[in-house]
Amino acid sequence: MNHAEKKKNALFGALLWILSLIIIYPLLMVILASFKEKREAGSLNITLPRAWLWENYLEVFERGDILRCLFNSVFVSVITVIIVIATASLLSYAIVRRDTPVCRLIDKLLTFGIIAPFAAMPTMQLLQLMGIYGSLWGMIFVYSALYLPFSAMMITSYIKGLPKDLDEAAVIDGATGMGLFVRIIVPLLKPIAATVMILVFMWSWNELQIPMYLLKSSAQYTLPMSVYSFYGAFSTSWNLVCADVIVVSLPVILLYAFAQKYVISGMTAGAVKM
Amino acid sequence: MNKDKVYPKYMVFLPLILFVIFFVIPSTVGYLYAFTDWSATRSKFGDISFVGWSNLIGMITNRKVPVALVNTFIYAIVKTVVVTVLGLFLAYILNRKIRSRNALRTLYFLPAVLSPLVVGLIFSAVFQNRGGTANAILTLLGMEPVQWLGARWTGVFAISFAEVWRNVGYAMVISLAGMQSISSDYIEAAHIDGANEWQTYVHVTLPLIMPTVNVNILFSLIYGLKMFDLIYVMTAGGPGGSTESFGTLMLNEMGAGRYAASVAVNLIFTVILVIVAVLYKKFSERWERAV
Repeated sequence: MNHAEKKKNALFGALLWILSLIIIYPLLMVILASFKEKREAGSLNITLPRAWLWENYLEVFERGDILRCLFNSVFVSVITVIIVIATASLLSYAIVRRDTPVCRLIDKLLTFGIIAPFAAMPTMQLLQLMGIYGSLWGMIFVYSALYLPFSAMMITSYIKGLPKDLDEAAVIDGATGMGLFVRIIVPLLKPIAATVMILVFMWSWNELQIPMYLLKSSAQYTLPMSVYSFYGAFSTSWNLVCADVIVVSLPVILLYAFAQKYVISGMTAGAVKM
Repeated sequence: MNKDKVYPKYMVFLPLILFVIFFVIPSTVGYLYAFTDWSATRSKFGDISFVGWSNLIGMITNRKVPVALVNTFIYAIVKTVVVTVLGLFLAYILNRKIRSRNALRTLYFLPAVLSPLVVGLIFSAVFQNRGGTANAILTLLGMEPVQWLGARWTGVFAISFAEVWRNVGYAMVISLAGMQSISSDYIEAAHIDGANEWQTYVHVTLPLIMPTVNVNILFSLIYGLKMFDLIYVMTAGGPGGSTESFGTLMLNEMGAGRYAASVAVNLIFTVILVIVAVLYKKFSERWERAV
């Protein structure tokens, strides 16, 4: 690299650091406000708090019912991830390998599933008729059905790259159906499964629109719902709202800090690999 | 090899049951509710009767759907265009040998892992009337403070700004991945032919990453059209429904007890999304062939 090139790169680097203030400033403001006293936090700026009030966090945990909502969120997200991974990989595998006209039609239907919006009130009514409206399980099924198409699309393109000879060799050894799928195919799906798991986890963890329709009591609230209702109740107490925001964002930020490579590739794989 | 034995049919139909019950049925048969008088006062299944097209016509003529339609497209298009251009720009810089590029990449992607709800709250603070950052900047520049979230176009701007803030890193990573997958042979060949850096970028790099960018544009459009959380947190569609998108209009109509109207909006929304996806696919294919 010659001298002019180096200088140019240094300039570009400096430019990006200056622009990154647009990202850093609001985040810093939220962190600092979360430690401030109510009136002090109201003038949203990046001055240091006069006194660091850790009590704000205690108050958020108590009034925001964080622990119960955290449990609900973990429960919903983990079960959704398990259901989506299991159904999406089985479906994708069967569709790719069978490759009949019906399968291609199902593939089209899945594309519609990616594009179409959440059919909010019809889904609500359906759950009501089934008697599972307002339950976390009902919502988990809806999440799973909505996240299935994108997951299946990603796994499908991955399975298309797995040679069919594998299946044929397994058939000669006497494995068919589920035995073949579980013993031969599933171990090969690990990389794409990790990617899809992260994506589905992030989606269900952050989802706000669906629980708005499908949950009726605050006992079932997931974290985003708790934040939204907390904001409704304490909209003038920016210190508490900011502390709440930090508490609910911490899990994903920690995940991002320790598994950055996987988070980034998980979130962008759908667009990159097609 | 016997297909039905090696890949039995139940492998297709078992996972599909879930999808059919909880997605396909509400998203097809469920839209019949758009043609009924379903409402908060007529919520029992037995009380509901068909009323024909009046809900759909009503939602279009009372201007709620037209306003939501315009806003929804503004949100989606502004976000897609700005994010794609900024993403390409950032990727162009970060694809160079800059010392701190990993730190920069981590930083720029960070907003993408935050939930839209959280981003909405952060920017409610930024665009707050009193004490908000946006007004502090205006005051610093000697201008009058603005009620950002209290009027249509400033509200639309504030919401779009927040959405761009959240998504720039995402677009950057995708463009960067595209650029890094280009073989350096192409770039060297262009240099030997005497192309300068900019010419190489426009005539070699951009066309090669176009397929990746295209997919990203489609997803960005679709998710942009479906945007809900940010708007709901920042303005809830207000004031007077002027910043409404399809997503918030659906919820607000339900909140007002007009259930069938909410389903009607949902149905119109579905039709529009399908049209956009089909049109985009047609155009991008033609465009890719032209490049």
